[in-house]
Amino acid sequence: MRDPDVLIVGAGPAGLAAAAELTRRGVGDILVIDRDDAAGGLPRFCAHPGFGIGYLAVPRSGPGFAASLLHALEGSGVRLLCGTTMVSLDAGPTVTVTGPELGHRVLRPKAVILATGIREANRGNRLVPGERPAVGVLTTGLLQQTVARKVPFPAGMKELVVVGTEHVSFSAIWTARHAGLRVRAMVDERAAVASFAPAGWMARAFGIDIRLSSRVAAIRARDNRVAAVEIETGGRRETLACDGVVFTAGWIPEVAAIATGPIGIDRTTGGVATDENGRTDLAGVFAAGNMRHPLKASGSCARQGRSVAATVASALSSR
Amino acid sequence: MSVRFDIAVVGAGVVGAAIARDLSRYELRVALIEANPDFGDESSKGNSALMTEGHDTPAGTLERDLVVRGYQRYMAEAPTLGLPMRRTGALMLAWTDEQRATVEHVVEEAHADGFPRLSLMEGEEVLRRWPQFRPGVLAAAYMPDEVIADPFSTPYAYVLDAVTNGVIFLRPWRVSRAERLADGWRLANPQGETIEARLVINAGGLRADIVEGLAGYADFRMKPRRGQYILLDKPARAIHDIIAYPTPTPTTRGILIAPTIFGNVLVGPTAEEVEDRDDRSVTEDGLAALKRAIDEMVPVLRDMPVNTIYAGMRPATDHSEYQIIPRFAENWLTVAGIRSTGFSGALGIAEYVMSLVFPVVFDLKPTKPLRGVTVPDLAETSLRPWADADRIAADPAYAEMICHCERISVGEVRDALASPVPPASIKALKRRTRAMFGRCQGFYCGARVQAMFDAAQAERSGCEAAACGDRRDA
Repeated sequence: MRDPDVLIVGAGPAGLAAAAELTRRGVGDILVIDRDDAAGGLPRFCAHPGFGIGYLAVPRSGPGFAASLLHALEGSGVRLLCGTTMVSLDAGPTVTVTGPELGHRVLRPKAVILATGIREANRGNRLVPGERPAVGVLTTGLLQQTVARKVPFPAGMKELVVVGTEHVSFSAIWTARHAGLRVRAMVDERAAVASFAPAGWMARAFGIDIRLSSRVAAIRARDNRVAAVEIETGGRRETLACDGVVFTAGWIPEVAAIATGPIGIDRTTGGVATDENGRTDLAGVFAAGNMRHPLKASGSCARQGRSVAATVASALSSR
Repeated sequence: MSVRFDIAVVGAGVVGAAIARDLSRYELRVALIEANPDFGDESSKGNSALMTEGHDTPAGTLERDLVVRGYQRYMAEAPTLGLPMRRTGALMLAWTDEQRATVEHVVEEAHADGFPRLSLMEGEEVLRRWPQFRPGVLAAAYMPDEVIADPFSTPYAYVLDAVTNGVIFLRPWRVSRAERLADGWRLANPQGETIEARLVINAGGLRADIVEGLAGYADFRMKPRRGQYILLDKPARAIHDIIAYPTPTPTTRGILIAPTIFGNVLVGPTAEEVEDRDDRSVTEDGLAALKRAIDEMVPVLRDMPVNTIYAGMRPATDHSEYQIIPRFAENWLTVAGIRSTGFSGALGIAEYVMSLVFPVVFDLKPTKPLRGVTVPDLAETSLRPWADADRIAADPAYAEMICHCERISVGEVRDALASPVPPASIKALKRRTRAMFGRCQGFYCGARVQAMFDAAQAERSGCEAAACGDRRDA
């Protein structure tokens, strides 16, 4: 396989929008790789409205946004390979990838756009004590993929506690309710709901107990499944029985593949360090979207992908 | 009707599994029975994964002899099973004069006990070679032959070897009744199934005293000791890649900071006596102690991301010595109280058990023709399947990653699910493959891995329903 002119790593909003913009600007040979089994990034697991704001004329659902980003590439000649992972990135730029089509090989594109997204901090990352049941400790990502991939929940999982009150926390609640799970409570260390106030009003209207200025002090289990969470509010402990606990937000840019390489990481954001145009400190390597700075909404990620692509296109034409 | 065996080994922890493997070399009908859905599901899943030479065990004890021998056997046999090891070496560090005196004493004692390769290293040299340690190191005992190994694949290799060579592995099969027969025992589980065996070997680990009680023995009582751990993310190993012990106190060996074979850094274990042998909770006090250990030994690791926290349980008893008690007149052999040295000692213990059983109970020699087995090498420093061009060319499923943090392929998960000893739970699958073991703990891959696991379970139960043959009767 020939080396592409531009390699885009990550087929989420930022990467796919970048590919579309490069095509529009006449850059011919683009390869988009994604390590997951399908393109679209995290929005494809979020089956509710509110995606693509500021990028699409009419915002859509997560999967709808993913589909529209892919639709824009139809007939463009952009090559898209899923199940394909970037394993290292060095000066050149030189990118080592592994995938079923490409095998384990080195690519030498003229430019690389990194758009690898983010993940949420899980229970271990947050050092939440207690027992470690096999079943019931989740993140929004795991909850939503489980639903979107139609993987059955364990029998008897009915009631969840959601940790966090950010936009994504309400996204988790949306998913849980549509999957037939009840959300008993939301717990947040902050004194106010972090998302829009109406989200909190709606959650309360659904009967969700919102516990602010509270933290999860421990997870309790029975028969290797979550049985309860202990929450602490102002020094007072209380046990909330539940079958699962969903840790939401706590965003961590997904930079693992490059963290030990030559590219600088921004210590404050945890993401790749770039200038305002998305240039990293490695020549020919750019970055867009949430891997630069969490957490931008999907539409903002796509817009950033588009603008970084413009920079890349003009850099290529001036070579 | 009971199935009749020559020997029933109760408990498929690392010790029971090693015993079953050694027994499979003899022309005997052997059952390995495990109360949990999978082997190594209690003590053996939560250890420090160190293969120790044995100098840190009490001199003059059976434990010392068997750990020394276990280490020797592991060095010889692990490679034939495909099990990876890294000889990272270890340091026992002293920052105070008192600790220095202890460390000097440890080195002298080790020399006297036949461990000549231990040496005293001055603080300056320690910090020159390992600048990550907190400044002010006065001295250290340097132990060049300490090894890190794979704590999960090791019992897997033993069970797989045993099963491949004819041992019947029954799980979950919890012994709830033991009835003395004229020439052995009849064991029953709560479902009313029974087996008979001429000799029962109780390697019941954390529950060894309960099994003893079923047979009417009460020589010891379990005093389980919990050990909590923090697992740091992979960048930690670039900073710290040697096993580091604090200076031991009379009560504990202390919290160590060591690389893992999977490329992380492990901090632990704490040592807490707990009432409930199943209380593998992580506590705020425990986490605070682990963080303190980082500050005291390798403070540069303080801000390293944590992948996961967990706790293990040491099967200690109210005796300090191993409780290996032959009662051959009563067809019973107890192998209990293995404390914290089961992983290092397992093969030594198994060999010792063979010396007790043969020829006294069975006048046999290990002459059975054997089928060799290997398990996947999961070490971070070995050639990973995703980077192995030949393997990928033969089967592209090894190039499609499913667990991105640990870089585990669809092919590896598929292979683990197709094993003759398949994982019984998602956690067991995790221990067989490393999938979901990394920094995201399943955020990206959990649903896909679960789907593969569910599909394999469904296929297996469909297969069993269609009378493809229940392994229990095979």
